[in-house]
Amino acid sequence: MIAGLLLFLVLPLALAGVVYTLRRWATLTALLSVGTALALGIAIVVLPLGRTVELWGREIVMGGTISLLGRELVLEEVDRVAIAFLYLTAAGVFALAWQVSPRAMLFPVGFGLLSLLSGSLLIRPLLYAVLLVEVAIALSIFALQPEDRGPTQGGLQYLSFSLLALPGLLIIHWLMERYALTPDNTTLLDTSAVLLSLSFALLLGSVPFHPWIPAVASTSEPLASAFIFTVNNGAIWFLLLAFLETYPDLSAYPGFASLVSSTGLAMVVVGGLLAASQRRLGRLMGYGTLVDSGVGLVALGMASEQGLALALLALLVRPFGIALMATGLKGMGAQVPGGDVPGALRGLAREAPWSALAFLVGGLSIAGLPVSAGFTGRWALYRALAPSSFSSVLTMIFASIGVMIGVWRGLSTLLSAPESSRGTGEAEGDGPLQRWLLAGLVVLAVAASVGVGLFPRLVTPTAVRLATLYTFLGP
Amino acid sequence: MPLLNDLLTRIVSFAAMPAVIGVFVTAGLLVVSRDWRLNLIALAVQYFFVAVLMTQVVRLEMAAVKALIGWLICLAFYLTEQQAKSLTRASGERSDLSLQGWFSARLEGWRRQGISVRAAFGFMAATVVSIAAYAAVSAVPISQVSEEFLLACYLLGGMGILLLGLSQDPLRVGVGMLMFLSGFDLFYVALEPSLVVTGLLGSISFVIALGMAYLKTIQAATSDEETVG
Repeated sequence: MIAGLLLFLVLPLALAGVVYTLRRWATLTALLSVGTALALGIAIVVLPLGRTVELWGREIVMGGTISLLGRELVLEEVDRVAIAFLYLTAAGVFALAWQVSPRAMLFPVGFGLLSLLSGSLLIRPLLYAVLLVEVAIALSIFALQPEDRGPTQGGLQYLSFSLLALPGLLIIHWLMERYALTPDNTTLLDTSAVLLSLSFALLLGSVPFHPWIPAVASTSEPLASAFIFTVNNGAIWFLLLAFLETYPDLSAYPGFASLVSSTGLAMVVVGGLLAASQRRLGRLMGYGTLVDSGVGLVALGMASEQGLALALLALLVRPFGIALMATGLKGMGAQVPGGDVPGALRGLAREAPWSALAFLVGGLSIAGLPVSAGFTGRWALYRALAPSSFSSVLTMIFASIGVMIGVWRGLSTLLSAPESSRGTGEAEGDGPLQRWLLAGLVVLAVAASVGVGLFPRLVTPTAVRLATLYTFLGP
Repeated sequence: MPLLNDLLTRIVSFAAMPAVIGVFVTAGLLVVSRDWRLNLIALAVQYFFVAVLMTQVVRLEMAAVKALIGWLICLAFYLTEQQAKSLTRASGERSDLSLQGWFSARLEGWRRQGISVRAAFGFMAATVVSIAAYAAVSAVPISQVSEEFLLACYLLGGMGILLLGLSQDPLRVGVGMLMFLSGFDLFYVALEPSLVVTGLLGSISFVIALGMAYLKTIQAATSDEETVG
C-alpha cells in the first residue's frame, strides 16, 4: 500500500530530475510537466480521503497521518484544496511556458518547489513548514535567473527579504508554546503578534517591504516570476492562515484585523499610484501584483468568514491575470533585445500580436476590470465592504484605475509606429506551427480568464467552502 | 571519554569571550574587505568560532556538523571564484596566480592608495552596527542565553543585514545572508536543539550558497560573452 501523501512529495522531486535531464527536448519536457502537474492536481481532489483506491494494480490511501523522520505529515480537507491550487496553477504556468520559454529552468525547479511547498502544507508542527518554505524560496533563485543575462537583483532581493522573515516565524512557535504555559504573561503574545505581522509583511511584500516585487517582475524570467507570485505566494497565504488557525490568540489579538486591513490598503495605494506612472511593463506587472495582494489583505482584514472567502477568491483568480501578463512579457521580450524598455516595445503589437493580447487581458484581470477573472473577487469585495468602509472601496477602485492607466499606456506604446531600425511583420514564434500553438494557448488562457469573469460560480464555491474549513474567524 | 568531554567543556567555557571577539573581527573583515580570498578565510574562521560558541548549548557533535556545513559552503565559494576567474581570464583579463604575488600586490595597493572610500565607509558602518549590537544586548536581553552569546548573535545578524544592504555581488550578498543565518542559528539552536531543525537550517544555507555560486558563474560567463562580443 502506498501512502498517497508521499506521492505529492516524492513524485515531483523525481520529475524534477527527469525534466532537467530532458531539457533539450523542449516539447517533451513541457508536456511531461503539464501532464504530471495536472494529474497530481486533479488526483488530490478526486481521490477520496481516508479510503483505499486501486490505481494501476497498486493500492493508494489518501489522508490520515504518516510519520517522516519523526515528524507528522497530515492531510486535511484544507490542505487538499491548497495543494490542488498549487499544482493546477503550476500546470497552467508550465503550459504557457511551453511556447514562450521552452528551455527554462522553471520546469525542473518548479517541481522541486511544488514538492517543498506541498510538504510545508502537510508537515506539523508549523516551524518545519516555515523551514521548508524558506528552502523553496532559496531554490527559486535558479528559476528566476535568466540564462542570457548577468545576475538580476530580483531574485537576490526576494531571497533577502524572505530570509529576514525566517527568525520571527520560528520564534513565534517558541513564544506561543511558552504563552500556553503562562497565559498571564501577555508580553509573549504581544511579541508574537508583532513578529507575525512583520514576518508576513516581508514574505508578502507589504509596503514598505515591497521593493522585491517590482524587482522580480522586471528583471527575472517572467514566467518564473508568475510562478513566484502565484504558487509561492499562494503557499505563503496558506501558511499565514495555518498560523492564525493554530494560534487563535494571534488572530483574536486586539487591532490585528485593522492592521491587516491598513497594510492591505497601503499596498493598494502604493501599487495603484506607481502602476499608473510605470512605463516599463515588467514593473507594471509587479505593481499590479502588489495591488492584488493588497486587495486580498483588505478582505482578510474584514475578520469574518465572508472576508476570508473573498481573500481566498482573490488568491484563486490571481494566476489568470499574472500568468497571462508574464506570457505576454516573455513573448514580447523575445522579439526585442531591449526587453521591456518603452522604446524597444514601440509597435511590437504588430510583430507579437498574441503576446500583446495576453499582456492586455492579463493586465485588465489584475486591474479587476469587468468580464475578467480578477473582477470576480473585486466586485464581491466592493459589495461586502461598501456598507462598513466606503472609503476603502473607493481607494481600491482608484488603484484599479491606476493599473488600467498603466496597461493603457503600455498598450499605446505597443500599438504606436515601430522604430525604423526594426522591421515589421509576423515575427512571433520560430515557425508557423509554433505561432499557432502560442496563439492556441493564449486564446485558451484568455477564454479561461473571461469564462471565470462571466461565470464566477466556477471558482466561488471552492473559496467559500475553503473559508468554512477555517475556524479562527466567526461567521 | 567523559574526561575528554569534561576537558572540552572547560576549554569551551574559557573560549566564549575570545570566540565572540573572533566573530566580531571576522564579521568586520567580511564587511570591509572586498578581496575574495581574504573573505573566504574570514568566513571559514567565523564558522569555527560560531561552532565553538555553539558547544555551550548543544553537543559537540552537532556543533561540529554546523562547522562542517559552513566549511563546505566556503569550499563551494572558493571553487566558484576559481571558476569565475578562469572564465574572465579566458576573456583576456590579467590574473595573479601565486599567493606571494597576490600578497605583495595587496601591500603595494594599500601603500599607494591607502584605504579606499568604500572600505572606510564599510568600517564606519560596521562600527555603528557593532555598537548597536552591544547596546541591544542590554536593551533586548533574552534569559535563555548568556550575554556574550547574545552579543555574537546580534553582531552576526546585524553585520549580515549590513552586508546585504551594501553589496550587489552575488557572493557578497550570499555571505551576508549566511552571516545573518549563522547569527539566528546560534540563538535558535539554544531554544530548539533538534536534529531536523539543524538539518533544515543547514539545507537553507546550502541552497543559498549554491544559488549564489550559480549567479556568480552566470555573471562571469555573461561578462565574458560581452567582452568577446
